Amino acid sequence: MINIINKTKYAYIFSGTLTILSVVSLFVWGMKFGIDFTGGTLMEVKFENSVPNNQELTENLKALELKSLTFQATDKKTVIIRYAAEDDKINDEVLKDIKAKYSDASQLRVDFIDSSVSKDLKKNSIWAILFAVGGIMAYIAWAFRKVSRPVQSWKYGAGAVIALLHDILITVGVFSILGHFKGVEVGVPFIAALLTILGFSVHDTIVVYDRTRENLLRSSSKEKFPEVVNRSLNETLVRSINTSLTVIITLLAIYFFGGESIKYFALALLVGVTFGTYSSIFVASALLVTSYEWQKNNS
Amino acid sequence: MKTMNVKKKTRITIVFIVLLAVVVGLISYPKAVQKIPFLYNIFNKKKINLGLDLQGGIHLEYTADVSNVDKNKISESLQGAQDVIERRINAFGVGEPLVQSARSGGEYRIIIELPGIKNIEDAKKKIKETPFLEFKEEAGEADLKESNKIFDSMNAQSKKKADEILQKALKGENFEELAKANSQDPGSKDKGGDLEFVKKGTLVPEFDKVLFEGSLKNGEVYSQLVETQFGWHIIKFIESKGDGDNKEVHAEHILFAKRDASQFPEFKYKTTGLSGKNLKSASVVFANQGLSDPEISIKFDAEGTKIFADLTKRNIGKTIAIYLDGEVLSAPRVQAEITTGDAVITGTFTIDEAKELARNLNEGALPVPLILVSQQSIEASLGEASLKQSLNAGMIGLALVVIFMLLYYRYLGLIASLALLIYTGIMISLFKLLGFTLTLSGIAGFILSIGMAVDANILIFERTKEEIRRGRGIQGALDEGFKRAWTSIRDGNVSTIITSLILIQMGTGFVKGFAVTLVVGVLVSMFTAVTISRTLIRFMVGEWVKDKLWMIGVKKKSEEDFK
Repeated sequence: MINIINKTKYAYIFSGTLTILSVVSLFVWGMKFGIDFTGGTLMEVKFENSVPNNQELTENLKALELKSLTFQATDKKTVIIRYAAEDDKINDEVLKDIKAKYSDASQLRVDFIDSSVSKDLKKNSIWAILFAVGGIMAYIAWAFRKVSRPVQSWKYGAGAVIALLHDILITVGVFSILGHFKGVEVGVPFIAALLTILGFSVHDTIVVYDRTRENLLRSSSKEKFPEVVNRSLNETLVRSINTSLTVIITLLAIYFFGGESIKYFALALLVGVTFGTYSSIFVASALLVTSYEWQKNNS
Repeated sequence: MKTMNVKKKTRITIVFIVLLAVVVGLISYPKAVQKIPFLYNIFNKKKINLGLDLQGGIHLEYTADVSNVDKNKISESLQGAQDVIERRINAFGVGEPLVQSARSGGEYRIIIELPGIKNIEDAKKKIKETPFLEFKEEAGEADLKESNKIFDSMNAQSKKKADEILQKALKGENFEELAKANSQDPGSKDKGGDLEFVKKGTLVPEFDKVLFEGSLKNGEVYSQLVETQFGWHIIKFIESKGDGDNKEVHAEHILFAKRDASQFPEFKYKTTGLSGKNLKSASVVFANQGLSDPEISIKFDAEGTKIFADLTKRNIGKTIAIYLDGEVLSAPRVQAEITTGDAVITGTFTIDEAKELARNLNEGALPVPLILVSQQSIEASLGEASLKQSLNAGMIGLALVVIFMLLYYRYLGLIASLALLIYTGIMISLFKLLGFTLTLSGIAGFILSIGMAVDANILIFERTKEEIRRGRGIQGALDEGFKRAWTSIRDGNVSTIITSLILIQMGTGFVKGFAVTLVVGVLVSMFTAVTISRTLIRFMVGEWVKDKLWMIGVKKKSEEDFK
């Protein structure tokens, strides 16, 4: 039997460091939001011959006085152009100006989102996450209402929620760094990934709690709470790792073979699920034990 | 006896499962029975709907401006707009376009998806071309009075300026320069306000009074502002010639315009509710017998005829403005009440323009104006590539999971793999039979659900292995394993279902597709775990395994200490 509970110290340090790094990254670099959240236009233009550089394109479009104008060259001889736009008429003019100077240019795609829609998306995303966290907490509190000793049932819920907030925060931190260094954008699919991670991370945590509950109901009074928790962890270790492994396998398949458009979606899920498993094993139960120790020390 | 019944039940269930497996297998992959045309036709009936991100195409969202629509008529108007757009889109010949209305926040949206269209700007133009036709009547006295309040302060300012310039003119400043700089009469401004020689009666009476009946000297500026319907004027008398009826006066003036509501169409006219939706048909006719001066002859539907009759009846002698996409096309004066529901729209059309307009009106005029709020275009080749890649990823994922299960759980892993294949078959069949649109996110959700479906099996197996290690008999261990595992399976899946439901609620497009697949996947996987996995286990695992524990990965002598 592996003594996991003894090692909670290391787990707390590891988690704590990553969480702080994520928060710092968020404050310093923020997230790179796509047009889902900023509104505006995203246009991908292909150049058959040589691809003009950013300065040349800026010069080309100067007359239109576009705001928040950015260019991003890809490795497929295309340039991704982004700018703020209140209506789609400007897109025609942008294309006209580009084609006037570069006759070999063609428009692969143009996405436009009005700022009212993007505001809605932002609002809905936040509500969705709040609802999800609330719903899950309520569900766990209900599912574990019968085990109030030695640790009250609401603490199970709290433990699970802290574990999953930790998962979400680290995933967001990873994408904040990716956004800053590799220009990876975050849009509505990212929120979908976060919500999926929420659902999934709790899944794992519940399995461990389930076992703990079962063992508590069965255990003798000689066995102390931390020991019961540790035993439960060991018993469910293989199972937790294996189920996460199968999901990670499928996500890796998507990440490597699934194509450009869902690559980063799969990556978000990968990060979240991996940390979700880690937090279910090392963080969620550890929190229960820690709160038990505090209770003991204070009484 | 009890065991016999269980065995019998198990056998019957196995038969069902095998049948199910064959059916879903064939629905998913009809090509397997290509050689048997009769069967092939039955199973090949339904094709999978591909979403935009897999086919390529355009997604457009418009907000409908319902500010002028009666509250109870909003859904009617939206439906009308939808119908009109659908008709126009069907003219593209696009396979399975999607037009639907939705409510988002307080706004009414129309969502259009056109798979396979390559040119987004063309499509948008065609959709936007649905003209918005309105008939408006002149606003009444009361309405005008209200609107005029806005102009009162503007006019006060204008008069003040007029006074200032009058003083300057009287002081002797160059009249022509003052006119060029300040006059708001476009006809004379650049000529220094010169009105040239005019006879009495040509200009308005106020001017005549000053110029013909007054006694101004040559080059004298009239000492007061002259107010007319146009505003305030500063008049300078230059000279006169002739006399009596032939007297002509040469004068200059500077105009400071008065503005009021009746000069602006927005204030002048108000909505009547009669619009393009009431049009039954439109055609091009020619005013003259030749092929010149094209006009549009329109016929209203029953409701429109009634409204039009009322409209013309109460506006005899006044004008009715015909607006096209927010601009006044023409404003004919009503001669008499028109009860036949026929009307003619005149304007400066070329023949092509008239034909175009008549065609647009016929294909349907939008009952409400539409504003584009979001668009997304996916190139067809990109969509194709995504489809291929994600299907690949799915197959690889499935294969890897099966390999893992076989390696780790061996014999039991085989059972799990069978259950997993049947699960995949069921999911694909559901997609085809229920007509779900398959999107990229849907595929992602499906692949993810494969990883999660196996979960239930792992839970059962681990628990079973544990019970075997504790010394239980095989059958007992299986039953116990299943029982104990079920609560975990249920609880764990509930949280995924909660978050998926939230995603479905808040999401559109990508998010919804992903969440729906995930929820369906989780539910179906619970079903396969309960019926298929369980039955397969009962059928394929018996007491005989006790001597071959290695087959299911349990070490004979347990080295782990649990007590």
